[in-house]
Amino acid sequence: MKRPITAALAVIGYVIMIVPIIFVVATAFTAGSTLRFPPDGISLRWFDEALGYEPFIEAAISSLELAVLATALALLLGVPVTLAIHRGKLPGKGLVEGLFLSPLIVPELVVGLALFQQLMVGLGLDNFSTLLVGHTALMLPYAVRVTGASLALADPVLEEAARGLGASPLRAFFNVTLPVLRPGIFSAGLLSMVTSVNNVPLSLLLQGRDFRTLPVTMLDYVQQSYDPMVAAASTLILAATVVIAVIAERTVGFAKIFGGINQ
Amino acid sequence: MTAAAELIGVTQRFGSFTAVDEIDLAVPSGKLTTLLGPSGCGKTTTLRMIAGYSAPTSGTIRIDGIDSTRTPPEKRNLGMVFQSYALFPHMTVADNVGYGLKLRKVPSAERRSRVMETLELVGLAHLADRKPKKLSGGQQQRVALARAIAIRPKLLLLDEPLSNLDARLRVQMRAEIRRIQAETKLTVILVTHDQDEALEMSDEMVIMNEGRIVQQGSPQQIFPRPADRFVAEFLGYENFLTAADGTPLTIRPEHLRLAEKGQGLDATVVDVAFRGVDLLVSLEVVDPSGATVRLLADVRGGATLTPGSSVTVIAPDDHLVSLPR
Repeated sequence: MKRPITAALAVIGYVIMIVPIIFVVATAFTAGSTLRFPPDGISLRWFDEALGYEPFIEAAISSLELAVLATALALLLGVPVTLAIHRGKLPGKGLVEGLFLSPLIVPELVVGLALFQQLMVGLGLDNFSTLLVGHTALMLPYAVRVTGASLALADPVLEEAARGLGASPLRAFFNVTLPVLRPGIFSAGLLSMVTSVNNVPLSLLLQGRDFRTLPVTMLDYVQQSYDPMVAAASTLILAATVVIAVIAERTVGFAKIFGGINQ
Repeated sequence: MTAAAELIGVTQRFGSFTAVDEIDLAVPSGKLTTLLGPSGCGKTTTLRMIAGYSAPTSGTIRIDGIDSTRTPPEKRNLGMVFQSYALFPHMTVADNVGYGLKLRKVPSAERRSRVMETLELVGLAHLADRKPKKLSGGQQQRVALARAIAIRPKLLLLDEPLSNLDARLRVQMRAEIRRIQAETKLTVILVTHDQDEALEMSDEMVIMNEGRIVQQGSPQQIFPRPADRFVAEFLGYENFLTAADGTPLTIRPEHLRLAEKGQGLDATVVDVAFRGVDLLVSLEVVDPSGATVRLLADVRGGATLTPGSSVTVIAPDDHLVSLPR
């Protein structure tokens, strides 16, 4: 009997993932002043506090800035690479694809340390530029994977058809291939942003006095004061992530994003 | 007879594989020409070279008398219908059909009227604002045709256009494509592996095998006189025997007659398959050269035929085709 075991594992998995989140969300709504479960009454005061706490707001803006820039860079690099991998006559396609997917596997601490040594110490780059490089590298797998998934759905004959009707190769790409890829590029962008904003290891290793991302600032805060404001901030981030995930699912679908390219 | 397209000594190699082997072909203007052959015979490669999607390894391709061997597809002004239709999924039917006109900078009012006119021709004017995904296979096929015709191409190229349709629709579309060809007077080149389709639709048939053209002519010329054993087999000649002087002969099953006694070849019935209107009789025959061969006779009636019974097979001279040795 395989089914009851599978079902039990699934339930355990959900419990392990969801229960801690429920605790965080519940404590965010407390009226009391300590992180405790069950919460002492219900209020929105900690959301108010979190949204009024300047270091958080400043760090949130920094995080978004970094996420938007890194995502743009990752797409600018990743989309042409994906096209080359799937459509071009690139020698060693598999190797190139592996290279662009490798940030998923290489431990971020190692990447972070390497970037710190080479870019910050070696080249003297400021911590924002170094973080931008790190986050861009981290986003590349999403750009390559997600646009690859939607490219696999686009019939390569479409471009030939456009050319037969009188379009130059460039024109055929912009009129036909790019519109077919647009949902994929869009959700790759969303996923990259989420990954960047939520990233801790790289952001922690490469932080500086004048540039810090939100998770790092929150971590700092928790080390000093243990109050429900962090739970409120986390809940806000969670809500934003869920909204973005739903949009990504609606436009391309997780199965295609995380499944094999040739599915 | 003027040639709308001309291939002179055209060869296409992919690595060590020769897909098309030095073919010469003149496609008559204003007619429907089919390239017929089994898969891998080079017919689609030939069409793609005419369309400009792949450049020949050697040889010359002339379109309307102009050397177009190295002209990119967008400069050839040919209409192509792909096997998968390749409709642009993000555009409506009307935008698909109008795409080529837009590229040609046809003003939008004129474009709209030409799109509707073309959709009218294929009977889809009422679906102009739909997306391709919402259409049936047959309708998508018609949109692909309309899109190719709308640019008023020099040639209309159809790559196995009917192979993705179900059997009944396929037969309907044969007549439909013929009608459109007659109305537009376009020169059409159609690639197919279906001999019935080719016989029914063609003005001119070009039969290919292993990268070469093995026979060319009208269906009326080719069908009764296959040039060699390959063409004969491909066109449904099932029976091959040898004359007393050693000449290979072939005859279609429906042309063999069976008699109880008489002038003919002695045969033994091996198997009888009842097919409703007719019977398919499998026979063991000693042919004029003395060899024992299996023949198939497609006959009407003959209730007394049972496996093991002896009959005489009559192969009328006017239906016997001699093949090269």
